[in-house]
Amino acid sequence: MKAKVILTAIAGLAFMAPVCAQNLSGRDIMQKAKDLPDGDTRYAEMELTLIKKNGDKRVRKVTSWSIDEGKDKKTLMFFTYPGDVSGTGFLTWDYDEIGKDDDKWLYLPAMKKTRRISGSSSKTDYFMGTDFTYNDMGSRNVDEDEHKLLREEERDGQKCWVIESVPVDKHEIYSRKVTWIRQDCCVPVYVEFYDKLDKLHRALTISQISQVQGIWTKQRMAMKNVQTGHSTVISVLNPQYDLKVDKNMFTVAKLEKGL
Amino acid sequence: MIRGLLKRRWFALGAFVLILFVGMVGMKKMVKETSFDAYFIEGDPMLVKTDEFKAHFGNDYFVGVLTECDNIFTKKNLTLLRELSNELLDSVSYADKITSLTDIEFMVGDEWGMTIEQIVPDEIPDDGTPEMDEIRRKAYSKPNVARKLVSKDGRMSWVVLKLRAFPEDSVWHKETDVAPDMQTGEEVDRVLNNPKYASLNPKGTGMPVVSYEKMEFINEEMSRLMMIACIICLVVMIVMTKSLRGVVSPFLSVIGGMFITYGIAGYTGMYVDSTTTLIPVILGFAVSIAYNIHIFSYFNGRMRIHGERRKAIEETITEIGWSICFCGITTIVSLLSFLVIPIRPMKCVGMICSMTVLFVMLTTMVITPVLLSFGRNRKPREGFTEESDTTWTRAMVRMSDWTMNNSRIIVTVFTVICLVLCIGLSKIVPAFDIEQTMGIKVPYVEKVVGVGRSEMGSLYSYDLVIDLADEDAAKQPDNLRRLERLAKVVEGYPLTKRTTSILDILKDLNQTLNEGDEAFYRIPDSEEEVAQMMMLYENAGGSEAEYWVDYDYRRLRLMVEISDFNSAEVEKELNDIDLRAKEIFPGASVTAVGNLPQYNVMMQYLVRGQMLSFIISVLIIGVILMIAFQSVKVGLIGLIPNLMPAVFVGGIMGWAGVPLDMMTATIIPMMLGMAVDDTIHFINHSKLEYDRCGKYPLSINRTFRVVGVAIVTTSIITSAVFGAFTTSPCAMNFHFGLLAIVGIVSALAADLFVTPILVKRFKVFGNEINN
Repeated sequence: MKAKVILTAIAGLAFMAPVCAQNLSGRDIMQKAKDLPDGDTRYAEMELTLIKKNGDKRVRKVTSWSIDEGKDKKTLMFFTYPGDVSGTGFLTWDYDEIGKDDDKWLYLPAMKKTRRISGSSSKTDYFMGTDFTYNDMGSRNVDEDEHKLLREEERDGQKCWVIESVPVDKHEIYSRKVTWIRQDCCVPVYVEFYDKLDKLHRALTISQISQVQGIWTKQRMAMKNVQTGHSTVISVLNPQYDLKVDKNMFTVAKLEKGL
Repeated sequence: MIRGLLKRRWFALGAFVLILFVGMVGMKKMVKETSFDAYFIEGDPMLVKTDEFKAHFGNDYFVGVLTECDNIFTKKNLTLLRELSNELLDSVSYADKITSLTDIEFMVGDEWGMTIEQIVPDEIPDDGTPEMDEIRRKAYSKPNVARKLVSKDGRMSWVVLKLRAFPEDSVWHKETDVAPDMQTGEEVDRVLNNPKYASLNPKGTGMPVVSYEKMEFINEEMSRLMMIACIICLVVMIVMTKSLRGVVSPFLSVIGGMFITYGIAGYTGMYVDSTTTLIPVILGFAVSIAYNIHIFSYFNGRMRIHGERRKAIEETITEIGWSICFCGITTIVSLLSFLVIPIRPMKCVGMICSMTVLFVMLTTMVITPVLLSFGRNRKPREGFTEESDTTWTRAMVRMSDWTMNNSRIIVTVFTVICLVLCIGLSKIVPAFDIEQTMGIKVPYVEKVVGVGRSEMGSLYSYDLVIDLADEDAAKQPDNLRRLERLAKVVEGYPLTKRTTSILDILKDLNQTLNEGDEAFYRIPDSEEEVAQMMMLYENAGGSEAEYWVDYDYRRLRLMVEISDFNSAEVEKELNDIDLRAKEIFPGASVTAVGNLPQYNVMMQYLVRGQMLSFIISVLIIGVILMIAFQSVKVGLIGLIPNLMPAVFVGGIMGWAGVPLDMMTATIIPMMLGMAVDDTIHFINHSKLEYDRCGKYPLSINRTFRVVGVAIVTTSIITSAVFGAFTTSPCAMNFHFGLLAIVGIVSALAADLFVTPILVKRFKVFGNEINN
């Protein structure tokens, strides 16, 4: 499956629960981190802040609903800020099947038009001007990288596993990434991405990790491109799990109807 | 002092070797700057504007690659083009994004869907298949996209590599000595020279490539010119001194001057510019030879008279030392006048050249006497006295007689020539573009100029930044329509090749969202439509918009690429654009940044700076002459012949169309500093002779006899050394060499023909004594 859609992925990153184990290989730990439970349905209000090196900011706010359908995931989002994009809706169907492209629709209220979006021209696949790539945000298959447990160390007072992951596909934009995963809840807290010259390219810091309805939830993710100085902060507000959500909500008709 | 030096000669030599070693270590720390951005002084308004632009829109530098083959629409050529694009993106450290026929955000839409896809699919089809025909059709389906990617006949294609912002100097200096633009140029050069791309004939352009190739050329050229200067120095000193010491001394003086100067530059982190590196080296050779010839000729004369080595050295330094120091100081003062020009390479020339002259002078004053002190005394030549004549001195005496007998003709001829040349002065045109400064004979210049003039490529660009003052104002259709009007105005100028702005993306989006209907290739109707289309664009993977509108949607950028350069036209167009932009955007500020406005500002700095530098040199040298001869009259009269090099050099530049660039701008003040040396020698000796005989014709006649040969000899030798520049294919080096010779020869002519007449006519030493 091609890159995951960011907002689906934001939800994916945000809703995770702890399952921990001892004496595991690098791959085992990554698999455990990926398999953390995140509820069958979920809701959140999110704020995306894009920050340039000179301090200029661009803020976007979205309200998001998500539902699991088997191994697939459907997400509906509406932009609430800034005013001129308020009401713009974004629907994604994220398929688990390998090789099957995600379906994405965007509704533009100013023109009353819905457009299905496919493809991406950019090799780097950055999403919406953020520093997150589709791959960073998506449920990347564990076996798309080779993992190696480097060491165990403390980070911000928490005992962590430090795992190096080298992509199998050499066309990935990073040559390797190093992930710090908390041992108490199996949630990643820090990731370093290295470019093809093995220079640090981006660094992801995950904070405000707490349990919501018994599910470990990441409420703040800050990705900084250390080479350009650009950064993106995603804040998750009011997260809720296992709500009663109608399956029919995740359709183009509902997308066009709006909030 | 000289006795003390000779007593401790071994200590002096040891100290000199130690200083050379320390200097050599310092030289290794020296970083030569080549970046055009570094030309401006910190805090310069143009630099502030450029930095502000970079903060909002990223790097204003880009790399352009023009490919040329029989037909780009073949499997082999498209595959190569894709590989080339990928390799550029992967191998260039500061690569940000590539745009080429095989890598482009190509929007395709119908009633239901929209995609941003590639013109060339992942699997490139075979030649002659319908799929290949479809690629060609798609490439030309949007004329506004095609004109930036592929030529009408499909032979040329244009690849643009956008670059990430370069780090601050303090950041990259910690890791490497290679500036980011140089590193980029080198990396691009390596990719383009890969033999596998040879069939595409890739030619690189853009500032990083041009700067890198310029540095490579200058380094090679410097070695060559250094070699020629060394040969000239060797030949001249062998002929003049007929001794090993005579050859070694000037070389040691140059080495001492250069090592100490560049050593200090390395230790103190001084700005050293690569373009003008040759000037201090050649100037070092010229003054070293001149100083050493003065010392050797006087020393040899004394040895012929009495044969006592140490006594001859003491007499030489006592007699010649003062005039060498005085000449050195006037040259240094002239060179330091470059510090008033607010362009870093010019300040660099001023500082490095003055330091070089100072240290060459000090080395000569210390090392040459020490070298001369080794050896035995000689037998004096029988009958040789201070009054003895040679063939050359007899010729000088005849010249003196001729000058004094034809003063009216000489004054008339000089006046007419000066008037004609003064008209030429007003015709001098400044230039900063590579075609005029480096010249088309330099291979890399010929290449990049050719790229600029081709259907696809461009050589220079500049940006207009419209600051609308309010956030989100850039999304308002009214402001976007104003931008469209401004773009049309700019496209109407002769130099403009094409413009790029957010309008290209927005119009394409609007057309795509409306089933490709060409009627919708226009600005959307409302702010909401603009905002939501941009949202759609970003969601579909579009990432180009950030280059054209800032984060607050407050500033718009219009990039203007030009294919050719003409200083006067550029100035006219930029001034015109400024006026028209203010009319179109009455409430906004419109600023021009980029290479062209920078060239324009720098040309203004250079013209004003050169004038100021010249005036300061004249004033200071006038004051020095007045103090040295303790007479205001002598100081003012002494200045007149020294204005000749300025009139001759400037006039010839104007009439011959030689542009004022960073090399030629240094000539007039430098010539003033060097020419005044001969005037000092002449007036100084005339005064001595006048004090002895009280008659102007006789004192002038004797002056010609004693200092005439030395003045002519040093002028010929320094001309020969500067003549090394005329062997360069680089236009500004050639012009520099030629104009330096004109300056030196005109100064010599003025000293031989005008100064004596002025001395006599204005009775500068007082009325003649009858008895």
